[in-house]
Amino acid sequence: MKSRFAVKMFLTMFSLVVVGSAYAHHGNSAYDETRTITITGTATEFDFVNPHTQIYMDVKDDKGQVIHWSVECNSPGIMRRSGWTRNSVKPGDQISVTLNPAKTGVPVGFSGGKTGKVVLGDGQKLDMSPK
Amino acid sequence: MRNVSWKLIAAFTATAAASLVTFPMAGQQAPATKAAAAPAPKRELSGVWQFQSGGGAQGLAPEKDMPPMTPWAQARFATEKPGYGSRATTEGNDPILHCDPMGFPRVIFLPTPFEFVAAPGRMLQFFEREHEWRPIWTDGRSLPKDPDPTWYGYAIGHWEGDDTFVVESSGFNDKSWLGATGYPHSEDMRTVERYRRMDHDTIAYDITVYDPTAYTKPIVAPQKTMKLLAKTDEIEELVCVASEEEAFAKKIRIPAVAQPKK
Repeated sequence: MKSRFAVKMFLTMFSLVVVGSAYAHHGNSAYDETRTITITGTATEFDFVNPHTQIYMDVKDDKGQVIHWSVECNSPGIMRRSGWTRNSVKPGDQISVTLNPAKTGVPVGFSGGKTGKVVLGDGQKLDMSPK
Repeated sequence: MRNVSWKLIAAFTATAAASLVTFPMAGQQAPATKAAAAPAPKRELSGVWQFQSGGGAQGLAPEKDMPPMTPWAQARFATEKPGYGSRATTEGNDPILHCDPMGFPRVIFLPTPFEFVAAPGRMLQFFEREHEWRPIWTDGRSLPKDPDPTWYGYAIGHWEGDDTFVVESSGFNDKSWLGATGYPHSEDMRTVERYRRMDHDTIAYDITVYDPTAYTKPIVAPQKTMKLLAKTDEIEELVCVASEEEAFAKKIRIPAVAQPKK
């Protein structure tokens, strides 16, 4: 219950309500496409694989508790067209990911719609879909 | 079932396509005007094309616009447990969740491009998704009368005027779904597609699905738009790897729809 509350608090803090169409790979009702949030933390894993690239990262909430987030992204082919490579994110990198969170409130999200993007520690922005 | 009048089908398709050209569906991206892009070359579709959409779940047609299913299809539909979409479940049995082939026409609606390559006697369509391809015979042959069913069927094509490539297909197996939300089709499915090159950069795409075993009426898809990508763009290798899909399901797809821990 405590972790659920923490996640909710976290989402509340960082939520920016943006209505837009997502670009989900299969079309994915697991995620709340009416909400777009940005989370910032430390990348722990980056899987640049088909058919879904994945980013895993640790994010501290407002109480300092580390929440482990899992992020579904587009296929490598779509992301390459926006400048991604398999080395774009490495474990230990500080990154900000803009995503649609899971409807259930678990720390899982989809970053692949028109608003999906990652900002790297050096300020470089990588969109998830070609603009 | 197989003796549906092809002339009637063609006439119906032409009428439906014409009406959709005149009245594009809400939410569809309007094709570029001819003033905004170079004129369409004649009888030419070569290049890498990107379907313009909000995602694969939109698929053939919105759920609200799907025609009533026959009892056969309703029984199939009841067994289908999509991993995505409005009926998403962690116990999904969508064939693609196990890397079974996407099949046609589902593959055409994904947010990944395909390439048309013209060859003598046929047009080749290479899909980024699954690194799959589909020959469309243009040498005047007819569709086979009793083909062995396959995931991508058998296709023939011809030009209507200088801008519209018409493709008729049959010979599909019944193992693929029409979309992520789990609509079935039978081996009797036939499709008619019209790739109308509106200008150099734009195709207006219409498809009608005829499957009287599964649906009480033809499925007339809202018109879709495809855009030509840059000449430097290439079809990527987007294969579905079963072991990687399984790992993804355990790490993200299933947790995403699970209830939070108390």
